[in-house]
Amino acid sequence: MKTGASVFPALILLVMTSSLARADAAAGQAAFESSGCQSCHYTQGPATEKTIADQLAKKGPELWYAGSKFQRPWLETWLADPQPIRPMKFNSVMEPNPGGHAVLSADQAGPVADYLMSLRSDMVVDGAVKVKKKNLKGKLIFIKKMPCSGCHQFPTKKKFSGGLSGPSLIGAGERLNPDWILAYLREPKVFKPVKMMPVFVGVLSDKDMKNVAAHVATFK
Amino acid sequence: MSRLFLMALLIVALGPVFTGAAQAADGKALFGFYCAQCHGTEGEGDGPNVTGDFPVDPRNFTETAEMEKISDADIRNVIIDGGPIADKSPMMPPWGKTLTDAEIEALVGYLRQLCNCTGKTG
Ligand code: HEC
Ligand code: HEC
Repeated sequence: MKTGASVFPALILLVMTSSLARADAAAGQAAFESSGCQSCHYTQGPATEKTIADQLAKKGPELWYAGSKFQRPWLETWLADPQPIRPMKFNSVMEPNPGGHAVLSADQAGPVADYLMSLRSDMVVDGAVKVKKKNLKGKLIFIKKMPCSGCHQFPTKKKFSGGLSGPSLIGAGERLNPDWILAYLREPKVFKPVKMMPVFVGVLSDKDMKNVAAHVATFK
Repeated sequence: MSRLFLMALLIVALGPVFTGAAQAADGKALFGFYCAQCHGTEGEGDGPNVTGDFPVDPRNFTETAEMEKISDADIRNVIIDGGPIADKSPMMPPWGKTLTDAEIEALVGYLRQLCNCTGKTG
């Protein structure tokens, strides 16, 4: 009787919180749609781009696997105070990123983050990447063997370094899910069938990919 | 002759035209999308990635004298396997798993257009 009495309220609480989260995601979806976000972002997978023209026609990055790609705290903060991620304008080689992304109010950012976090890809294996303080093998790949650094900015002791054509990886440790980084390297066609970044499947081993993902996950 | 038969005949006759069009990869568009980020939109080796931190200059494809020294096969190999296959920097990435054979051929052709040269043979 005693245990029953304490389990029961706990159960109610559990049911309530999970349905609350769902209610928030639904409210977030409504806010996403009424704010016109889907005019630039698609939220339905799988990816359908086949040609360079298909990719260039997109006005913003696809969000249909946002819940597997991003970390929830980063996402909510960014939605309310978006700062440029790509040094160059999306889909442009030469034009700098003008910034000025749509901003959500603080009370909309939470529900929209809940909604986006509900969009998941089952290609992302939870816990596949073990993140430690350092991954020297991954670092060597990143700056030397297969220089990701040629196209992506990353933090260094001095400040930062790296190329400008890809999304900046400064702060990637807070922004990206390490398991998604690995999935993106393993299954590039699933997430972005046509992109400026080379396919590394068959170039880097699975171990290399895990190491480089773990290294990127240390970026502050 | 039935209309259906005529349609079928038309499709058979035009089939090769359509597949031919699908295969003729556009070297310029491919270059602009994949290569310009380092080699520059005009192929002059000055893409946005070439900041002060970039350790080696991407080839300027409009330098005819330099481009004459390498053959089409050399170009093809570097595109497929990256810089190290020709004792060059790994900052030139491998594209063999990204591009189709037809796309690589179109890029070789486009680089020859940029250098206005044929390169050494063999
Ligand atoms: C006019 C087109 C446009 C609209 C409208 C728009 N976005 Fe974006 N969004 C972009 C572009 C372009 C980027 C890339 C920004 C960057 O790299 O700095 C982006 C980036 C993002 C990102 C980060 C994705 C990533 O992969 O880096 C999220 C999350 C996002 N937008 C959510 C939203 C939400 C929510 C709304 C509606 C309030 C919205 N966007 C409205 C164009 C748009
Ligand atoms: C991340 C930057 C980067 C990208 C992207 C890139 N390259 Fe390069 N490429 C370089 C660098 C750097 C070199 C010079 C390497 C050296 O000299 O050691 C080079 C050299 C080359 C060479 C060798 C020229 C010679 O003199 O032997 C060819 C050919 C070439 N690139 C073609 C391409 C093509 C085609 C593409 C697009 C599919 C491309 N590159 C994309 C950086 C890049």
